Amino acid sequence: MPAPPLLEMRGIAKAFPGVRALDDVSLDVQEGEVHTLVGQNGAGKSTLIKVLYGACAPDRGEILFRGQPVRIASPADARRLGVAVIFQELSLVPYLDIAHNIFLGREFRGRFPGSIDHRRMHAEARRLLALLGMDLDTRTPAHKLGVAQQQSVEIAKALSQEARLLVMDEPTAALSEREIERLFEVIGTLKRDGVGIIYISHRLREVFTLGDRVTVLRDGLKVASLRPSETSVDELVRMMVGHEVDTTYRRRFCDQPGEPVLELRDVHADNGVRGVNLTVRAGEIVGLAGLVGAGRSELARAIFGADRISRCEVRVRGQRLHGARWRTGPVRSVRAGVGLVPESRKTEGLALIRSVQDNLLAAALPALFPRHWYSPRRAARGAADLIGRLRVATPSAQRLTKFLSGGNQQKVVVGKWLAAGSRIFIFDEPTRGIDVGAKAEIFGLIEELVAGGAAALMISSELPEIVAVCDRAYVMRDKTVVGELARGDLTEENILRLAMHHG
Amino acid sequence: MGEFTRLATGGRRPVRAAAIPGVAYILVILSVLFAIFASGFTSAANLANIGVQSSILLLLALPMTLIIMSEGLDLSIGAVLGLAGVVLALVLVRGGGVALGLAAALAVGFTFGLGNGLLVAVLGMPPFVATLGTLGIAQSLALVATDGQSVVGIGDALPALYTSTWLGIPFSILVGLLAYLAFHFLLYHTRFGAYVFAIGGNREALRLAGARTDLYHVTIYVLGGLMAGVGALLLTGRMNAGHPIAAIGMEFDAIAAVIVGGTSFERGNGWLPGSLLGVLTLGVLKNGLNLLAVPSSLQVVSIGLLVIVALLIDSIRGRA
Repeated sequence: MPAPPLLEMRGIAKAFPGVRALDDVSLDVQEGEVHTLVGQNGAGKSTLIKVLYGACAPDRGEILFRGQPVRIASPADARRLGVAVIFQELSLVPYLDIAHNIFLGREFRGRFPGSIDHRRMHAEARRLLALLGMDLDTRTPAHKLGVAQQQSVEIAKALSQEARLLVMDEPTAALSEREIERLFEVIGTLKRDGVGIIYISHRLREVFTLGDRVTVLRDGLKVASLRPSETSVDELVRMMVGHEVDTTYRRRFCDQPGEPVLELRDVHADNGVRGVNLTVRAGEIVGLAGLVGAGRSELARAIFGADRISRCEVRVRGQRLHGARWRTGPVRSVRAGVGLVPESRKTEGLALIRSVQDNLLAAALPALFPRHWYSPRRAARGAADLIGRLRVATPSAQRLTKFLSGGNQQKVVVGKWLAAGSRIFIFDEPTRGIDVGAKAEIFGLIEELVAGGAAALMISSELPEIVAVCDRAYVMRDKTVVGELARGDLTEENILRLAMHHG
Repeated sequence: MGEFTRLATGGRRPVRAAAIPGVAYILVILSVLFAIFASGFTSAANLANIGVQSSILLLLALPMTLIIMSEGLDLSIGAVLGLAGVVLALVLVRGGGVALGLAAALAVGFTFGLGNGLLVAVLGMPPFVATLGTLGIAQSLALVATDGQSVVGIGDALPALYTSTWLGIPFSILVGLLAYLAFHFLLYHTRFGAYVFAIGGNREALRLAGARTDLYHVTIYVLGGLMAGVGALLLTGRMNAGHPIAAIGMEFDAIAAVIVGGTSFERGNGWLPGSLLGVLTLGVLKNGLNLLAVPSSLQVVSIGLLVIVALLIDSIRGRA
């Protein structure tokens, strides 16, 4: 009988209100095996990892370690079993040196009570780093290290805890080619030592160079577990799409777009966005697709002026919007007619504890009251007009926005920009957290806006939405636009192919 | 300041010019200027005087460094020192010895430090608000206990201790030096010290490492209270009496010294030797301006300018 696998997760299920995050997912990892995990945003990868390290209790299913059933109720349980997770957000203490970070909470005791045996700690840290082939001064404080070096320290920390199973969440996302090679060497060393590795990646190439097996998740379901040699990039992409979303919405696409109203030429921004070219014409809904972290929201913030653009230009109706550094910022964008419907509606789009009327008029005060005198009657009239036009379901204009449904809240955000006279709308995940019926209504609203001559740029992680709603789409990866898909080429597979790395 | 953190954490590397913090330049420039323009600045007696005057501030700046590193603040530390001084004086007046008086002063400091720590670390109150509250309590307790009057007639034992010297070193400088060495050891050579860096830099990482984060966080504030108690011993000895309002505003000098020394309010970035330099800079500045007969109202302006200039130097160099 063969030895039981290092880790076995059997029939794991987890539901959040309204979402089936994981449904009967099984996964096993052998000693010395790299098991890659791929899937779209929201496919269930993160939830599976959370279950594994005790941050989230599964509704059903069991976990076995070397054939023994175990209960992982907290991160401490996971650590005792030898599970270590290296998150994308690294968790080092910036002003402690490498050795202190590796042994945080487990320092070697020195001669005096409470004191630390620095010599032993540094020697042990050097030994661990040498195992990883890293030549770093263990006295360097963490904040001086690059991302790759910080990652090495995290790996050394995991090794010092005698981790037998290492989970790496997109470890190469912020690394250069050379650093990736080094990381792969380290992973090779770990494998030879018998450490099992679960490796999450959006770069499909890595599945083939690194993985011993690959598991594809989609909508919380396991689509397949297979050997890389048995499959291809195309097949993996096909398995990842087919995301179930109600796409009953059918729109009449725009055949004859008008003048370009928003033009970006080689835009670079402080938040990482680089070299973006993009055009949105009047009457168009243009999609902006990409995986989480591809830089879509950053681009939206840069266009809106919320983050500084370092090299530009952005043109709105032919007029340069953010030129010299002192002329940027949302004030100018709003005046130029740009409205941002942000992803986090409840914190960035609305003041939840204020009334529908207050929110609707928040950006329109200068337009409504050019002389700075507030007129309650004119305000009420303006609000009532918008509520009627947008069909916001609210008992009164004075209702607090926090009591509205997600769809109606979204309408209020849109209404805010309508009142301010916006002609270019940037929607960042406009349907997130909105039920199916209301989604169609939101799309209807966007379509009405562009039919009236406005332009819309829509960010969405739901590929079917982009395909169903947009006239064209741009695909982002690594903080830049990597491709444009015209209506005829706009399919889920094409988007995903561009959005993922595969060299 | 990172280079210095490394040096201070035990690295044995030569100090590179680029790593010298702004406060060191300011201290040297001020000293040279006063040596030229303020007659008597360089006399041995005056230099000793600067040390003596700086020692109480140092006692407060040491724990304040740890508190600010933990992304906290203790506004009550001056008021607690005042209250502890009054309690100490009252014990002496009633015939208790210096040891008993010190124990009472430390008890006062411990209580307030514990209170601050519990409010901030356990109840999660903003440090500014929590310690503003305890500042008010300590301040008014001191006034109630003394009826707003100075407590005089504390006897000879404490003044005698205060004016005593050891190998020619005044008592207060000795206390300051010992306190510095103790804090240096604590911050750079113990687990507790490593956890101070971690509480400010990445509290979650420390919690996940299984350390008793809250306990250590509270301890940081308790140290502040205890050092206020020690400071009360020096202040009462120097003034030969207990004054309920004598220590008002000391928290601001302590915070200024820490900031000037290069400790920042973010990410657990702190440097204890910098706080020592900051305290000395403040001491030199006040002393020199006194010698130049600058009115004390203008001296406050100079401290404000000092803080701004020191931060400016570091931020310009940090960018370069």
